[in-house]
Amino acid sequence: MARDTTHPPQQTEDRPASTSRRGFLQLAAATGAAISVGRSAKALTDLPYPAGDLTDEKLVDMYRTILRIRWHERTQADEMLSNPDYRGYNHFYAGQEAVATGVCANLRNSGPRNQLDLVYSSHRPSGHAIAKGVDIPKMVAEMDFRATGMNGGYGAEMHIADPDVGFAGADGMIGPAPVIASGSAFAFRARGSDQVAVVFAGDGNYAAPHFHSTLNNAKILDLPLIYVCENNLYHQYAHYSLSCPHEDIATAAAAYGIPAVTVDGQNVVEVYNVAKEAVDRARAGGGPTFIEAKTYRYYNHWGAPGATAGELGAFGYDPLAITHFRPEKEVRAWMQRDPVDIARRILVEWGIVDAARAAEIEEEVKAEIAAAFEWGLSQPFCTPEDGLKHVFAEGTVPARQFG
Amino acid sequence: MAIKSWMYSVLEAVQHEMREDPAMTWIFELTPPVASNPGKPVINLETEFGRKRVVNTGIDESWMASAVIGAGLAGSKSATYIPYQGACMPFQVIQNVAGKLRHKTGGRAAVPVVWIIEMTGQTPGFGGQHSCYEEDSYYMHIPGVRTVVPSTPYDAKGMMHAALRSPDPVVYLYPAGLRTLTEEVPDEAYEVPLDKAAVRMEGSDLTIVSSGAGMPGVLEAAERLTGEGASVEVIDLRALNQMDTETIVNSVAKTKRLLTVDQSYYTLCPGAEVIARAVENVDGVRVKRVAFPDAPPPASPEMFLWMRPGPDNIVEAARALL
Repeated sequence: MARDTTHPPQQTEDRPASTSRRGFLQLAAATGAAISVGRSAKALTDLPYPAGDLTDEKLVDMYRTILRIRWHERTQADEMLSNPDYRGYNHFYAGQEAVATGVCANLRNSGPRNQLDLVYSSHRPSGHAIAKGVDIPKMVAEMDFRATGMNGGYGAEMHIADPDVGFAGADGMIGPAPVIASGSAFAFRARGSDQVAVVFAGDGNYAAPHFHSTLNNAKILDLPLIYVCENNLYHQYAHYSLSCPHEDIATAAAAYGIPAVTVDGQNVVEVYNVAKEAVDRARAGGGPTFIEAKTYRYYNHWGAPGATAGELGAFGYDPLAITHFRPEKEVRAWMQRDPVDIARRILVEWGIVDAARAAEIEEEVKAEIAAAFEWGLSQPFCTPEDGLKHVFAEGTVPARQFG
Repeated sequence: MAIKSWMYSVLEAVQHEMREDPAMTWIFELTPPVASNPGKPVINLETEFGRKRVVNTGIDESWMASAVIGAGLAGSKSATYIPYQGACMPFQVIQNVAGKLRHKTGGRAAVPVVWIIEMTGQTPGFGGQHSCYEEDSYYMHIPGVRTVVPSTPYDAKGMMHAALRSPDPVVYLYPAGLRTLTEEVPDEAYEVPLDKAAVRMEGSDLTIVSSGAGMPGVLEAAERLTGEGASVEVIDLRALNQMDTETIVNSVAKTKRLLTVDQSYYTLCPGAEVIARAVENVDGVRVKRVAFPDAPPPASPEMFLWMRPGPDNIVEAARALL
């Protein structure tokens, strides 16, 4: 079969929506030919890549999830910057949305607790939480320390957790989460379940002994563990080259005999595909996979220094960034390959929705997030004495601050 | 002499010792050893001494804590700065290697090592892992390791000199909530002993004993109590192990009333040890212990600030004793 590459399918105006895409992809697979696409499309999405088992519905869902994360972040950043009554904060995830979304779209996120796949989050948790399906209004309330928040105001951003959707939670420490996640994977395997455990960890986790212990034991025991290393180049303010001798952290994982891949973390379909292979393998008893997603965060390590209300991203001087200063041009260069833009273009160029519908979906999500903040920030504050609860399963501990 | 910040005072001591001893090393993660102070040159250990001696590791407190022991065994004085996120990761090697080394080798081996263990700033809203204040109780329990906790920039510098010159391993606790304190600190090197408490205020009715991040609240409360006509003696422990029993006992023998104040959890807080030593040595002492309840710090500021001992709690407890 020959194909006229001067007229790529994307630009055929009368093609039916999704069947054309499928035909195009089958054709590509059959010929093994390099496929050229419209120049602008290639610049943004690096087509081609296989659609895997993705249905139109799933693609739209993933776009919606990415938007939910993005608008949660932007709304919260604006609250931090312009609402003096707002007390919450975040280690913002904006820029990395496609990673959490593409991975979690492969997971069992609802149903009985003992059937859910578990996600262990990092120190940058809100994107993972939303992708895993937590109740966003309750998360908003939690992040502003409200009594009716997801964790009753006890946890806040660094400790959000929702066992009902298999979100094992955020960790304020760098190191332990992957090892603990491997323990969940160990339990799944021991009880003959097809559940999988996923841990998201940043490039900073590489240097911790926990990284190596996790991969070694996951391989030796063939654990259903997917280690997603989100390499956004910086741990806090230190570039990862200070603590890792490899350009690809996946190189180190391969040394443990684990399938290890790198993926463009800005492209949700690419992330979905590598995660699908990993999850399928783990469920079938094939053991662990290491995925290194190359990505970038648009904000500084913590909070919103350098950001402006109503605008995406943080630029300029961060007083905390003593180790490394991120040049504005680096941030802006990464923003050219924005996961929201890429997800939208995939939908439009593959003919799943048109540009108008894509914009409409974004407006729907913005309204949903606005409502979540309205609800969350109208919830009651905590009762001081409740701090003595939940130390043990029953009862309260005595107050000791009064002598 | 100049008004200096906490970290500038500390790094002045480290800089001095590193200039004196070309073998000395410093290991850090995330937080570079850099400090500036109005009217003073910037201190940057990394640029001054180079990256062979001043090392920025990845996030790996286990390596940091162990590597300084190995450096010490190789004959190089060594110090490491462990940020609060990893404050207890070094515990195993400090407890089971460093603390036992001199004793188990019959006095033949020792490690001149300093672990600067940062404690959190107890920031309301930061939650269980970033607001806690509990490392004092853990580290003061280890035989063979000197555990100290300064509460002023002057002491922070003098105790850093003493720690770096000590033949014993030292856990030097740094309550990060005190980072905003400034005071007159000499430019030259000087030592503040690692085994002496400080009497911050003299009085005869009541002894209040605290340490580290507990001290600013205690001093505020003591001022208020003085204003009410009470004669309050305030002791800043500074040394948790070995604890200065003599200063405590002398004071309590005079006042017969003892109030301990800790930001650490109630069970096994430093004050528990202070009370035990006081009642062992002085008859007829009335005691009270103010501490954080035995619960992790919750994120909600309403809950956390109610649970954290503050000046109001201290004044109330003192009134009940007087």
